[in-house]
Amino acid sequence: IGFYGRSDSYRVATTQDKDDRSPKKKKGAKEKEMDDLKKEVPITEHKMSIEEVCRKYQTDIVQGLTNAKAAEYLIRDGPNALTPPPTTPEWIKFCRQLFGGFSVLLWTGAILCFLAYAIQAATEDDPAGDNLYLGIVLTAVVVITGCFSYFQEAKSSKIMESFKNMVPQQALVIREGEKVQINAEEVVGGDLVEVKGGDRIPADIRVVSAHGCKVDNSSLTGESEPQSRSPDCTHDNPLETRNLAFFSTNCVEGTARGIVICTGDRTVMGRIATLTSGLETGKTPIAKEIEHFIHIITGVAVFLGLTFFILAIILGYSWLEAVIFLIGIIVANVPEGLLATVTVCLTLTAKRMAKKNCLVKNLEAVETLGSTSTICSDKTGTLTQNRMTVAHMWFDNQIHEADTTEDQSGASFDKSSVTWLSLARVAALCNRAQFKAGQDQLPILKRDVAGDASESALLKCIELSCGAVRAMRDKNKKVAEIPFNSTNKYQLSVHETEDLNDNRYLLVMKGAPERILDRCSTILIQGKEQPMDEELKESFQNAYMELGGLGERVLGFCHVMMPEDQYPKGFAFDTDDVNFQTDNLCFVGLMSMIDPPRAAVPDAVGKCRSAGIKVIMVTGDHPITAKAIAKGVGIISEGNETVEDIAARLNIPVSQVNPRDAKACVIHGTDLKDLSQDQMDDILRNHTEIVFARTSPQQKLIIVEGCQRLGAIVAVTGDGVNDSPALKKADIGVAMGISGSDVSKQAADMILLDDNFASIVTGVEEGRLIFDNLKKSIAYTLTSNIPEITPFLLFIIVNIPLPLGTITILCIDLGTDMVPAISLAYEAAESDIMKRQPRNPFRDKLVNERLISIAYGQIGMIQALGGFFAYFVILAENGFLPTQLVGIRLNWDDRSVNDLEDSYGQQWTYEQRKIVEFTCHTAFFVSIVVVQWADVIVCKTRRNSVFQQGMRNKILIFGLFEETALAAFLSYCPGMDVALRMYPLKPSWWFCAFPYSFLIFVYDEVRKLLIRRNPGGWVERETYY
Amino acid sequence: MPSNKDDGGWKKFLWDSEKGELLGRTGGSWFKIIAFYIVFYGCLAGIFIGTIQALLLTVSNYKPTWQDRVAPPGLSHTPRSEKSEVFYNRNDPETYLPYTKALRNFLAKYGEELQRDQMKFEDCGVDPAEYKNRGDLESDIGIRKACRFSRSLMGPCSGTEDPDFGFKDGTPCLIVKLNRVVNFLPKPPSSNESIPEEAQPKVQPNVVPIYCTNKREEDAGKIGEIKYYGIGAGFPLQYYPYYGKLLHPHYLQPLVALQFTNLTMNTDLRIECKVFGDNIMYSDKDRYQGRFDVKFSITSL
Repeated sequence: IGFYGRSDSYRVATTQDKDDRSPKKKKGAKEKEMDDLKKEVPITEHKMSIEEVCRKYQTDIVQGLTNAKAAEYLIRDGPNALTPPPTTPEWIKFCRQLFGGFSVLLWTGAILCFLAYAIQAATEDDPAGDNLYLGIVLTAVVVITGCFSYFQEAKSSKIMESFKNMVPQQALVIREGEKVQINAEEVVGGDLVEVKGGDRIPADIRVVSAHGCKVDNSSLTGESEPQSRSPDCTHDNPLETRNLAFFSTNCVEGTARGIVICTGDRTVMGRIATLTSGLETGKTPIAKEIEHFIHIITGVAVFLGLTFFILAIILGYSWLEAVIFLIGIIVANVPEGLLATVTVCLTLTAKRMAKKNCLVKNLEAVETLGSTSTICSDKTGTLTQNRMTVAHMWFDNQIHEADTTEDQSGASFDKSSVTWLSLARVAALCNRAQFKAGQDQLPILKRDVAGDASESALLKCIELSCGAVRAMRDKNKKVAEIPFNSTNKYQLSVHETEDLNDNRYLLVMKGAPERILDRCSTILIQGKEQPMDEELKESFQNAYMELGGLGERVLGFCHVMMPEDQYPKGFAFDTDDVNFQTDNLCFVGLMSMIDPPRAAVPDAVGKCRSAGIKVIMVTGDHPITAKAIAKGVGIISEGNETVEDIAARLNIPVSQVNPRDAKACVIHGTDLKDLSQDQMDDILRNHTEIVFARTSPQQKLIIVEGCQRLGAIVAVTGDGVNDSPALKKADIGVAMGISGSDVSKQAADMILLDDNFASIVTGVEEGRLIFDNLKKSIAYTLTSNIPEITPFLLFIIVNIPLPLGTITILCIDLGTDMVPAISLAYEAAESDIMKRQPRNPFRDKLVNERLISIAYGQIGMIQALGGFFAYFVILAENGFLPTQLVGIRLNWDDRSVNDLEDSYGQQWTYEQRKIVEFTCHTAFFVSIVVVQWADVIVCKTRRNSVFQQGMRNKILIFGLFEETALAAFLSYCPGMDVALRMYPLKPSWWFCAFPYSFLIFVYDEVRKLLIRRNPGGWVERETYY
Repeated sequence: MPSNKDDGGWKKFLWDSEKGELLGRTGGSWFKIIAFYIVFYGCLAGIFIGTIQALLLTVSNYKPTWQDRVAPPGLSHTPRSEKSEVFYNRNDPETYLPYTKALRNFLAKYGEELQRDQMKFEDCGVDPAEYKNRGDLESDIGIRKACRFSRSLMGPCSGTEDPDFGFKDGTPCLIVKLNRVVNFLPKPPSSNESIPEEAQPKVQPNVVPIYCTNKREEDAGKIGEIKYYGIGAGFPLQYYPYYGKLLHPHYLQPLVALQFTNLTMNTDLRIECKVFGDNIMYSDKDRYQGRFDVKFSITSL
């Protein structure tokens, strides 16, 4: 509450405010504006008299604005609608995909290809088409992967479209004395508007008159209870005062008339929306990881490329040849298919999560939950059921617990007591709530109720335990009623009795317990009326305190059978001028209500904790309620105390308690505003269990920023508009699918379709799994880079015929490697990933030096040898023994040499030996496929043996067959010699790489065995990625 | 904290004096990892050499495992030239010097003085004859004798009388050989069907004939007479089979010299030469398999 006090200094008149927002803004003004938005609401109208407000807007309290004036204001202020958040044009998104990541490198390659071809075309009559061909292929690769990523992204962002509600809002305004229904967009400041129950408030209005008007501010403040509105200013804070109603909140019941004071983006809601869309969100952790990885790979590619370019020049190759080498090295170094693989893996996980009620809007957010180290959760609706439920009752001098679970699986209490029947009768009769029609087949708890939250809770409780309330009400006809009002703090009604022979009237009353007690002289114990003595009063006090301490709202109930002599049948009860007995009643009992936690939440919070995730509750609700729920769901775990608890236990002042002793803390919004940044960091660092109560939207943002400052990856859950800035600022914002407001869904990255906090745990699990699996996938894909690069390097350095061509490299990267790499996304977890700490974003990288060491330095090298062996086998069996190959390149690649001698003295024409060379490319390619079989099996696990992990991943097995079939197809399909220059292999050549494939498997199994045998040993430190 | 990382983080990474770390590792750590990689790559090298040795054991010393790519043989010519073009200026010796030099070098090993050793060479006659079988490849006869082939058989193209091989006079010589393929026996055409009419007179027993003509229609009549020198003006069968480098180190493959006696000057002429035989094939892609074409462009100004 107090935070708003700070806004004093920003409280400038709205007119002045408007000047600030003149359309011409300089640079930097935007930033200032953002700071401005982070501050509180500059509304003062609630403190003005109605006349002053009328004067300010030149309107009339009866006639409203004139049409001319309204038109003038409309032109001045613009329509009453929120400016939609700026969207990136589609073509920019497309270009980002087209030129992001490795694309730049591949574009360079493609351009070099075209350049080389242009040079050849200019200098030769009959240029070889190789470079042109390769350039086209590279361009196609970039464009196709770009399109693929673009469409994947477009698909996931399209999910949002379904949430947009395009029905235009209507508003009832009074202009020139006439009521007119206009489009809510045309409402202007100064308009006199009328709202009734069920309407959406069209703008921020200053209430001038109200009849039983209640508004639901939950989307703005998080308070779940409807609040009444009246013309009086009850609070300095515009959000707390009764005489303001806010844009896009709902009027629940009653009617009200008011003057519009703010429209569109200037409304409280508009400011939050603008703040939200203006927030810069950082990159997702996985995006940072991928960027880091791209930097490494690009660095290696550029370094190798330039080194060999210079080396080639020094070795006396021509510029053209050096450029062609450069292209080859770039193509070999860039894992062309990897980004598409990552996208597919993330998409698959997103789909899996959607099945578990986590809808992912932004693909990269899939992993974010996995690396989350702090969850800031809203209370209402996420942790709780967002439904008042009777939790406890006190009667017969005893507290009884009611069943609050969603499925009524909890314990029940003794319903046989006569007192309970009386209590139930009072609760049922003194109750205006009723079920909406046509829901008889629904379970009671699912039915919709017309009436306020407490009465609905009572209604459902009675309906559940005593049967049809309607029948009870029919039998006990209501003859008079005084509704609840804030001065009396009670509600009473007078009924006929069920017993037809009994002509007495029954008076039932409920209200604030202390008020009810004051009116009672007796108390019902075990069905018998006893006089209220001090002992019973104290016992009442204790029960009241205890239930209040649980954060529950307590109501007292009493009744009396009115004596027939004073109130005979047909007595005219006058409710305005109370002409009947309202004291000396008989106290029946207390009932207390709370919005109970969801059943699955305590378990989920426990799982989060064992997964090393800190759960912080951030709510707009009262500290006591917040703390009670926090204890109920385990956010404050059993045995942990706050500073206040310690103080109370030791009976010392709060100031004497060492704050370090308390692991838990509950922080009030009022205190939060006085905290410096250091104090804030201190709290976040030193308390493991934190509850923030009574927080404003801006404070939620500050909390999130505080956590992020400490290096945490923060997830925020929330449903209200007030949560949306925090949702946007968080590393991952999680909105509620059912209860969430559109603005919050807009700001979030993920939507929980069932509003259940427990679904987040699923998300965390999936996120961690995909991170692990992406590592495996990348390790697998990167490994084949070495057998792709080394042929080029040896070709340049020792002048052997080229062992592997650029086209075959592309066949590996974009063909055979794809499905196995993707299949690793389906790999099951190796151990319980929910039992370990969240990854440290500074230390635990997706791609680290150990992964590179394993993939490039070890497995990749074995693979390269496998490929080279196949290459030497083919050349040797065709007549070129290994010893003869070194240095042969110059003649080998000379078109005019058509009698090149092999080791047997045979003479080869250019074309003949080229066919052998291309057969070698094919064999090298096939060998890479063969060694990648072992690699994919090896990459399935990072620590366990394959024999422990099993081969249950069907997609992976499919991938093995698919890549083999594809390799066979590329080798044997007629026409491939022309299309890709790949030639059929003799069957025996398929087996060349088998020993190396086996070697990879054995080597890595031994490595993993050593890791398991010596945890923390040298092998683990150097090779566990 | 990440904020400290930016300033001096790079330098600290290079050399961290506090921990004694070079590039993020201590000396001991570097030693271990380097030692590991040395041992690892040493083992890999051993394994690789082992498999290569195993491979060498499986290949024969005398004959490659597969010959399907080298046969049917190619037809190559000397002097060879970039993009199979021969162009020069009659009046400028500089322009045809590379050609004559290549011819001289090529014919050097056909010198008679090099073929005198009776242990290595034998006479196979100056007329085409049957294949000369010198036993099986795998038999333990060892090194086989080679048939003599004297450069004098090249006539005016032998370079002995005309060191310019006719280039100076605009009657350039081209020496053609059928590429060597171990154990390959070229078969003369058994019928005249596949042979163009003009080439048919060249078909005679025990010789694989070669015939050159204009490649393009429009060059008809501009080529003039082409003279063929060599045994039977083709490739005589007694020079086959070839027993490979190891068993047949002195082998001289038969040559055919072509002399273009009346080429039209100052124009581009495309000439195609083909050998004909039952087991000689041509390929669309390989312009040197069983044939070749060459472009002459001689200026006489």
